[in-house]
Amino acid sequence: MHGTILSLPEGKGLRGSAERWRTRAWWSWAWRHGHQRLLGHEHSSWLATTIVLTVVACFCAIAEGPLWRQSTALAAVNLAFALVLVLTGLMLRREPGQSVPAVALMLTGIFRCVDFIDAWNGPWPAYAIVFGGVDRVFGAWALLRYPNPALSAVQRRFLVALAAWMIAGRALIVVTSTAPWMGGSASWWWPTLHADESLSDVLSYVVHGGEGIFGVTLIVLLAMRLVRARGVDRIVITPVIVAGIAAVIAASATAAVMTLSSIATTPNYAFLAESVADFAIPVAFLIAVVQRLLLIRNVTELTARACADGDIGALRSALRDTLHDPTLELLDPSDASRVAMNARSAGRLVSYLQMGADAPIAVVIADPVLARYRGLFDAAMRTSALALQNAQLQAKAAREELELVKVSRARIIEAELAERRRLERDLHDGVQQHLLSITARLSAAMTKTTDLEATAAFGDARDGLKAVLAELRNLAHGIHPAVLTHSGLAAALEEVADRLPLPVRISMPAGRLGAAVEATLYYVACEALANVVKHAAADGVLVTVQASRSWLEMEVADDGAGGVPAGVIGGRGLANIADRVGALDGEVTIDSPPGQGTRVMVRIPCG
Amino acid sequence: MRVAIAEDSGLFRSSLALLLNSLGAEVTVAVPSGTELIAAIAASPPDVVILDIRMPPSFTDEGIRTAHALRGLHPDVGILVLSTYAESKYASLLLEVVNAGVGYLLKDNVTDAGALMESLSRVAAGGTVVDPAIVTRLLERKQKPAMRGILNDRELEVLRHMAEGRSNLGIARELFLSARTVETHVSSVFTKLGLTQSDTENNRVRAVLAFLRSGGPRR
Repeated sequence: MHGTILSLPEGKGLRGSAERWRTRAWWSWAWRHGHQRLLGHEHSSWLATTIVLTVVACFCAIAEGPLWRQSTALAAVNLAFALVLVLTGLMLRREPGQSVPAVALMLTGIFRCVDFIDAWNGPWPAYAIVFGGVDRVFGAWALLRYPNPALSAVQRRFLVALAAWMIAGRALIVVTSTAPWMGGSASWWWPTLHADESLSDVLSYVVHGGEGIFGVTLIVLLAMRLVRARGVDRIVITPVIVAGIAAVIAASATAAVMTLSSIATTPNYAFLAESVADFAIPVAFLIAVVQRLLLIRNVTELTARACADGDIGALRSALRDTLHDPTLELLDPSDASRVAMNARSAGRLVSYLQMGADAPIAVVIADPVLARYRGLFDAAMRTSALALQNAQLQAKAAREELELVKVSRARIIEAELAERRRLERDLHDGVQQHLLSITARLSAAMTKTTDLEATAAFGDARDGLKAVLAELRNLAHGIHPAVLTHSGLAAALEEVADRLPLPVRISMPAGRLGAAVEATLYYVACEALANVVKHAAADGVLVTVQASRSWLEMEVADDGAGGVPAGVIGGRGLANIADRVGALDGEVTIDSPPGQGTRVMVRIPCG
Repeated sequence: MRVAIAEDSGLFRSSLALLLNSLGAEVTVAVPSGTELIAAIAASPPDVVILDIRMPPSFTDEGIRTAHALRGLHPDVGILVLSTYAESKYASLLLEVVNAGVGYLLKDNVTDAGALMESLSRVAAGGTVVDPAIVTRLLERKQKPAMRGILNDRELEVLRHMAEGRSNLGIARELFLSARTVETHVSSVFTKLGLTQSDTENNRVRAVLAFLRSGGPRR
């Protein structure tokens, strides 16, 4: 008749609920008092924890009383179990929204000890039987509640029914029996109302059978929680649920032993084994608490990842990993307002990433489960905002630096151009005029003599000077063609075309371009035309310059053989061209399909 | 012959004046800019003015501008523009703005006494002169590959002299041919190149230059 599945063996009792509340109230006082009186959060919480543990230890030790003599091991394990659960509850209590399961856990531990109050004899065995299942009710409560903000209607009904069944059912057994029937002594106080052994036996089977059904139901409810849990929830509750199911099964095993023996002969080691198995529950809660702390620590790695990559996509995937939410979305605030509104109405968790009072830099839309992990979620949001802002600032700095480099390259090109023009002018106005005047004077001198040898000598000298002049002119032209300065790109290209052995058509809008642009296009065209002469075997070349509002495009296209590998065209000259064009933020492309001629294209942004 | 000079470089200006004097020409004015020249010759225009193409203030094509202005003021004064640029564009430009008695010479060739005097007298007489170096370059370009098969060697010679600004008579003298033969060659060249005969010498030079600069005959 003492076969129980869920409850502890009959004969264990407990104090009234007033004790529970007194404990809670005292603990709260110690907590708050510690905060108020002592400097430093760590210090105060340690003090409060120590006080609570001492009080619980004394209370439980006294409640167990004579059990220490009967089975020191069982008493010690019970006490340890209670203390570990209280400690776990205190840790759990620090997490937002977890004070209910925390208190339920602490009460589970305390009531486990109170279960063994029957060792004091007197009225306690009767109380122990009636309230012997209360620790199980609290345990089930903690397991079903953690870490949700509230119980579901089904869970709440289950707990109420369980409590009612445990207490009312056992009370019925007690009032229809006598102490000796329960394996106790006649000296126990026993509230018999109607002693009927066969009725008591039937009631006992019905009550314990019902408790068995409640046990199976609890396993089903816990398994359902595990199946339904997502993301962070699943990580946190898995150890707790698994330990809970294990504890229910362990209790069933103890119960099975007890059904095979009478209360008097039920060995204490059976209870001992079950108590030891029950340690899985506080351990699982501790694991869960540590898991939550680890998740928050992972947020720091999120910073590193997001900072390294910097773009919104990388941050999104980092957030998905860290928060274990594959549905998480990270959106630019510009296109987010409507999406965010829809998401909010669909029950999703919407959070804006922003620094202080600045405008939001991104919007996060996440699984509402994460609302229960405010600490984790808020830390991830703060970190993300920081990382994103940092990345944006870095990108801005890089852009500005690039802009500076561009400006500086353009300035170098401008300076080089100015220097070339100055050199050309110096050659023209200085050395060239000087040589020319010497040549003129030589000619004048030649008119003064009729001596044939003198005339021949003057003539040789003058021819030599003319050769030097021609070389000088070529040199000056190579440094910078004066016609480019004076008449612009079209005229300069026409002069280049004059010297080429094949017809060159030039199509270009009238008017001047910037000096740097003209010089760059001129050098590109010269290089391209020289390559046409060298490689293309072409009959003609077309040089086209087109200006749109934002681009200036030049194309040098021949009707030659094409198929010139990019490396052959230009060589070092091309690299030089690409550099010059690059300095103006432009680009050079070469297209040379076999048999279709070669096209060199330059695009330079303008305006 | 009375000559006025506008030349920016003092050294070359004085050397040129020295050369002209030694060749028997009278240098009436030698100044560094076109505006000064226009002012200086207003009272007594010379037979020919020699203008540097690059002068103050902008050092680009002041010579051509001054030539344009001068032609309006003194239609009978010959104009010889000197340049260090062997670029046909300026020559064409000059012939656009001045219709006759005009020449474009490279400074290198100015120092050749014979060439200088011949150019001065042709310009003074209302003829046209284009520096042979410029014509040679244009011809070298167009001869290959386009013109070889179309004109024979004699016709190419005639074309060259036409481009340099010579009259039929001048060409006949240069090539030791009769004027009639030259006329035949000239009309043959014009026909073969698809050009129309021009009424004036200047227009003929312009047409030939334009043809040579345009890329030659299309195949």
